[in-house]
Amino acid sequence: MELFDNLLMGLSTALQLNNLLFCLIGVVIGTAIGVLPGIGPIPTVALLLPFTFGLSPASAMIMLAGIFYGAQYGGSTTAILVNVPGETSSVVTCIDGHEMAKQGRAGTALAIAAIASFFAGTMATIVIAVLSVPLSVLALKFTAVEYFSLLVLGLIAAVVLAHGSVAKSLAMVLLGLLLGLVGIDVSSGVARMTFGIPALSDGLDFVPIAMGLFGLGEIIANLERPAERRVVSQSIRSLIPSRADLRTAFPAVVRGTALGSVLGVLPGGGAALPPFSSYALEKKLARDPSRFGKGAIEGVAGPEAANNAGAQTSFIPLLTLGIPANALMALMIGALMMQGIQPGPQIMTEQPKLVWGVIASMWVGNLMLLVINLPLIGLWVSMLKIPYRLLFPAIVLFCCIGTYGIANSLFNVWLMMGCALIGYFFIKIGVEPAPLLLGLVLGPQLEENFRRAMLIADGDFTVFLSRPISAVILAVVAALLLAMLSPAILRTRKEALAE
Amino acid sequence: MTRSRIDLQDLLFGLFLVAVATGTLVATRNLTVGHAADMGPGYMPRVVALALMAFGVFFTGRGLWRTGRGIAPVQLRPLLAILASVGVFALTAERLGLAIASVAAVMLASFATREGRFVETVAFAIVLSGAAVLLFVKLLGLPIPIWPR
Repeated sequence: MELFDNLLMGLSTALQLNNLLFCLIGVVIGTAIGVLPGIGPIPTVALLLPFTFGLSPASAMIMLAGIFYGAQYGGSTTAILVNVPGETSSVVTCIDGHEMAKQGRAGTALAIAAIASFFAGTMATIVIAVLSVPLSVLALKFTAVEYFSLLVLGLIAAVVLAHGSVAKSLAMVLLGLLLGLVGIDVSSGVARMTFGIPALSDGLDFVPIAMGLFGLGEIIANLERPAERRVVSQSIRSLIPSRADLRTAFPAVVRGTALGSVLGVLPGGGAALPPFSSYALEKKLARDPSRFGKGAIEGVAGPEAANNAGAQTSFIPLLTLGIPANALMALMIGALMMQGIQPGPQIMTEQPKLVWGVIASMWVGNLMLLVINLPLIGLWVSMLKIPYRLLFPAIVLFCCIGTYGIANSLFNVWLMMGCALIGYFFIKIGVEPAPLLLGLVLGPQLEENFRRAMLIADGDFTVFLSRPISAVILAVVAALLLAMLSPAILRTRKEALAE
Repeated sequence: MTRSRIDLQDLLFGLFLVAVATGTLVATRNLTVGHAADMGPGYMPRVVALALMAFGVFFTGRGLWRTGRGIAPVQLRPLLAILASVGVFALTAERLGLAIASVAAVMLASFATREGRFVETVAFAIVLSGAAVLLFVKLLGLPIPIWPR
């Protein structure tokens, strides 16, 4: 079986001692950051990127992926114990999880969250393994024409499925594309929009932009609203859920996993959409929906499973096609490019060890989360007691040093400062910055493939419609855009994304 | 959030986009555009800037046309403190070294909130500075001076 061969190859990479270590570091740091409300996974990954430069590409990706799903996991701990979502994806867990904690069942809620996450993580790893091979075979038929259409689909779908106004998100993608064009033009060697600044000739680094927009902008906005945190203080008595709890939770876990796996693959879905959908589904299926919001265990189990499954399957487009499904995956692509790996449809055939190593490491990492984190609950709870007034200056400092460290350039620090101001402006006017990051990372590839496609077709734009694969992809783009205009879908989207 | 007669959020976003698009068109005015079969370096920037311009005009118009949300008042304290913290780091890191730049950046950042207590902040800044030097210079070998040259 090819599938098992691939997974075995992946495991042999993932189980190398140094990779195990980086996976462990990733999940622990990720959990720690996820537990702390106030800094999300995007600035975290951006902040830690410079640390991975010295590593091999596989180790770097394994660690960054670990940070990502670790952060998701940590977010649930905070949601249950403090009723503050550490991550957007754990907003739903707050509802019933915290209610359970107030009833003295915090341990059960934490354990169910951990078990549901692990189950979902295991299944999602299998889903990734099964889907990857046919997708990568298809991807190999791609020329510049198809790849351009695919990039367009990736961007549009990410915009349509993510939350926020579609028109604003499209404008943000364009803004990102524009920023991606800064630098020396590859084919003519002419400097574009560099304003005579030598540091700009290689283009804008996306790390200072991500840190400024997502990290610092967010911190400034956070400081404007005084936050209070109340940790549920009674000791966590029993971590082992009762048999009845497991029986009630298990079907929810299975449904959540399935839902999360499907929604995770969709661009833009990432980790935010699945838990909301799963919660709605569980409430609809429950015999007594009124229990929800009062500590229903399904309300923790389903969304937690969906959340973790979605987080993992959102790697599929990245690992098979080289297209990021959301802003976080865009950072991962950036990490790959900094390692000298060109993302694209050929990534699976050219870097099988890397791709399968990362896939296998996700399962290993989930196992680590299950084994280490429940005993460490006490440590995470004490982390929650660090006051924000000490936390944020530390984050600002590490952002400064991290940004500087990418290219040893003070220009990047100034760039980050400018982006912090713009990020704050975006928050004030209610615009989501995530599509900008996607545009920025995909911009250069989009231009290159567009120019190549036009060169092949001698400037004939119809080539995108006369090639069958490209035509199908663009038809999907058109359908998505049309669907967005239909009032019925607008309404359901609003409901599905309503918080 | 308060309601206002115009949609200030849309209006400001629209004006921002128009400004960016105009800036791009000016900055790329001397680049060759070429044509589709053989694009010059100016082709894509021009296309993207024009599209941005269209979005900008649309949002500006919609902002003026419909009623919408106002904007939560800007609080200068956190904004200025964080920006100043980053700026001071950029100004001092290479000249005065990481140790001093870190202390300065942390101290300035902590002005962002009124909760800070002076003694605690100073102590914390020194500890963080030490940790940063150990981690980034000693462990990770970042080529940045520790003390003033």
